[in-house]
Amino acid sequence: MGRPPRTRSDAVLLERVAAGDEDAFADLVGRYQARFFRVALRILGNERDAEDGVQLAFLRVFRKAGSYRSDWQGSTWLYRVLTNVCVDVWRKRGRQPSIDAASEVEEAAARTHSVALRLDVHGALARLPAEMRSVVVLRFSEDLSYEEIARVRGVSINTVKTQLARAKRALRSHLKGAW
Amino acid sequence: MGRFSREEDLAAAFVRLPESPAGLDRRVIDFVRGTIDDLAHLPELDIEATDRGVSRVGFGTGRTRTSGAASRRFAEQAREELAEFFGAERGYFTVPVDLSSARPFQRAVLEAASRIPLGEVRSYRWVAAGAGNSAAVRATGSALRTNPVPLLVPCHRVIRTDGSLGGYAGGLPLKQRLLLLESRIPGLVGLVATKRVCRAGCAMEKAGDELDRVVFSSIESARASGYRPCRSCRPEGVE
Repeated sequence: MGRPPRTRSDAVLLERVAAGDEDAFADLVGRYQARFFRVALRILGNERDAEDGVQLAFLRVFRKAGSYRSDWQGSTWLYRVLTNVCVDVWRKRGRQPSIDAASEVEEAAARTHSVALRLDVHGALARLPAEMRSVVVLRFSEDLSYEEIARVRGVSINTVKTQLARAKRALRSHLKGAW
Repeated sequence: MGRFSREEDLAAAFVRLPESPAGLDRRVIDFVRGTIDDLAHLPELDIEATDRGVSRVGFGTGRTRTSGAASRRFAEQAREELAEFFGAERGYFTVPVDLSSARPFQRAVLEAASRIPLGEVRSYRWVAAGAGNSAAVRATGSALRTNPVPLLVPCHRVIRTDGSLGGYAGGLPLKQRLLLLESRIPGLVGLVATKRVCRAGCAMEKAGDELDRVVFSSIESARASGYRPCRSCRPEGVE
């Protein structure tokens, strides 16, 4: 989008958005849209739902920026809003693994030589509840710490660990024989 | 953290998915702008109430018809809740409805339609079956068309089996708008401070701000995360 390098912190941008500054909102969208899409796609499994999720999340950001507090890292709050929306989209789309997910993952697998991808990790992930998939995505795609994931999802660190362990178990049993 | 045998494969699996599509940022901004305008627009609703509850909601001029203090309170409560609903802040209604003018089959149809969760849709056939007569699809359509309390009983969540919208007393654009609106209202909201899970619009839920909310996809998932269903709005009833 050709925006200048970041000059204002996320927290400052969020405060500007809360004050109704549309340019600050456009900056925030430019800064976060790729990351939001990456996370939404990994939680929801197909590009159409992911784009819906991103739009709804930014709508929520725009409407609720007033409740942002600067003792939170901006990105933590944004991940909270985004994963909330994705979990809700997943619920309303019937809690079903998406049909497109498999084909997109196969395409992705075809572009790499990873054995794990051929084992269809995403197919296995699609069967997990969206909350658990959010935690997996925040950990392995976004590289967040347990503590930050716990904050994003409003759960204890132990719950984060339990959910990651359960996700791995589910993957193992889905991919059994190959592990 | 301790590596487990294929943990790096999990990370690798995420690496190669498609990048965000071109023009996404522009579409986001247009969407947000359009939706903010949409949310600001509350349709003019006629409301009638008896001392048992709201007996009629109509798309009209904003008129209220009541008879006595109790019915006035119901009409007021309905207006408040509907305003919150159109502002995407409420996902269910607590104001009582008075369906005493409906025949038994229509009442059964309206009760079945009330069981469709927020943001989801079901077919006329599904509602007919829920009303106890799966063959009466046409009669179900007619019972829904003459729903005296649209919005409060969500007949807009009933569509044709082929996915087309079917009919709506308030017009198809409004039906479409309501379904879009509902996609913007979270279904199950967990409150971090109290570890309770509520429906959007519950007094407990309204007390929390955005930092205090985590959305869940099911009561089961909420429980697994340490959240208990709110005793006031009883979200487990809508699953």
